[in-house]
Amino acid sequence: MEKVLEILEELRPDVDFENEDSLVDGGVLDSFDIVALVGELNDEFDIEIKPSDLVPANFNSAKAINALVEKLMDE
Amino acid sequence: MYTSVLDWLDARACDHADKKAYICGDTAVTFKEIADITKSIGTYLAGKVTPEKPVVCMSSRHPYTPAYFLSVVRAGCSYAPIDSTMPVARLKQMLDVADADCMLVDRASYDKASTLGFEGEIIVAEDVLDTPVDEAALSAARAGLTELSPLYIIFTSGSTGKPKGVMTSHHSLMCYIDAVSEVLNVTEDDVFGGQAPLDYIAAVRDIYFPLKAGASTVIIPKSEFAIPTELFNTLNRNKVTALCWSVAGIEVPAKLNAFSECKPEYLKKVCFSGAVMSSKLLRIWQDALPDTMFVNQYGPTESTASCTYYVVADKVEEDTVLPIGRPYKHYSVMLLNEDNTPVAPGETGEICVKGPCLALGYYRNPEKTAESFMQNPLNDRYRELIYKTGDLGSFNADGELMFHGRKDRQIKHMGHRIELEEIEGAAKRVDGVRTCCSLYQTEKELLYLFYSGDATPKEITLFFRAQMPAFMVPRKIVKLDELPALPNGKTDMNALKAYFK
Repeated sequence: MEKVLEILEELRPDVDFENEDSLVDGGVLDSFDIVALVGELNDEFDIEIKPSDLVPANFNSAKAINALVEKLMDE
Repeated sequence: MYTSVLDWLDARACDHADKKAYICGDTAVTFKEIADITKSIGTYLAGKVTPEKPVVCMSSRHPYTPAYFLSVVRAGCSYAPIDSTMPVARLKQMLDVADADCMLVDRASYDKASTLGFEGEIIVAEDVLDTPVDEAALSAARAGLTELSPLYIIFTSGSTGKPKGVMTSHHSLMCYIDAVSEVLNVTEDDVFGGQAPLDYIAAVRDIYFPLKAGASTVIIPKSEFAIPTELFNTLNRNKVTALCWSVAGIEVPAKLNAFSECKPEYLKKVCFSGAVMSSKLLRIWQDALPDTMFVNQYGPTESTASCTYYVVADKVEEDTVLPIGRPYKHYSVMLLNEDNTPVAPGETGEICVKGPCLALGYYRNPEKTAESFMQNPLNDRYRELIYKTGDLGSFNADGELMFHGRKDRQIKHMGHRIELEEIEGAAKRVDGVRTCCSLYQTEKELLYLFYSGDATPKEITLFFRAQMPAFMVPRKIVKLDELPALPNGKTDMNALKAYFK
């Protein structure tokens, strides 16, 4: 979780990732943020985030993003 | 011969009255409805506006917004669209440049509009939708319009730190739309998928193809671009046949590997512009959509959105460099040396444009206008203006124009053009920034800011987020004790590039 938070905070230092739970639905992260984030997560954790993983539920909070990363690492 | 875009609108309100022109989700507006809306709001505006001043429009991303723009035109004025999601400080700068008497907003944008210190009248479009039409007032407003009347003012980044307002006439816009319609063979059967923000130059295609041809535009919600499966579902549900997107927008689904699970089923033509397209990502589109036509477009806002085009002939390879092609109808392009002489065949020079698509100039900025729009130095016989783009190009053996970057420090990032000086100007306003330099790492599409001083990177980001549009916020902020300097005291930008990750 710490590493995910670190990536998020470097990407968007202006966002309170510990508490924000509407990152995508609330328009906090735009498509360019998502592209950058997916690239960094794929590289850092050696995973492959697929288009079907790209749903708001998986990206609306740091917790959800971390859960997705953990799930993909287990696969 | 048409005088204004109102001629297009009124023709479509007759021959395609009940057809949906603009669509977003479950909301849509027909050509007849647009004509009615523009007449009512236009009547309300007619007595309050002067033709030389724009009406600033701040309205959200929905099908009525283009109708509000056209309402301003109905009142005999130009519209200056601004995006309510931009920071207040940026919007205030635009209002300063616009110097307008009226602002037309949708209800959702009213609260934001009322915080901008605007001294004129703020009109909520929904409140004046039912204004009884005064045909005499509208006729009088229309009688004042000629082809050369300004249609819109679009704001772009300015190196002095203030946005520039590029003002374009009805004639220029109609010439451009006519030219692109021919290349893309736009018909009433086309459904466009609109990506560009409605206040941005690229949106003129999505707004005016329907008016010209009786086509439709689906205005795609911004959030869907982050979720490629939703995006493609929207394209398929609406049977979208054509896209005119920024390169940055086209690249997103390819970068997110979206085609591995689904694809747009009805797309016949894809046109992209605004930056150099990555061949690798274009190939992903081409492989997924082998029967689709891809068109590379080039051109600045000052020459009405684009001036040259290249229909991609074959599947591209990773090292393919796409030409920016040939001038559209109504455009002519030439290459000049620094001393305003023509370049030798095959050599690189500044791309200069002439023809009826040149903008009227920068609104309320005669100095800057005179600098960029000048008498053709190769013609001393009669008045003929050219626009100096600041872009470098050369003609290849086939007579196609190739693009070679910028003369100055302007960059293209996330579909928008940015003057790096403007980033630096903003950074210098942050307390605790002593010196700074902004650079762009093209390969990774990262906007860097290097600085010295006591401020923290986080403070700088927060300042930018509060002052500037999102695409102008540096992604990488690097603090140094001192910026490396050249012997003449200027910042050594090449040395700074060593810090790129």
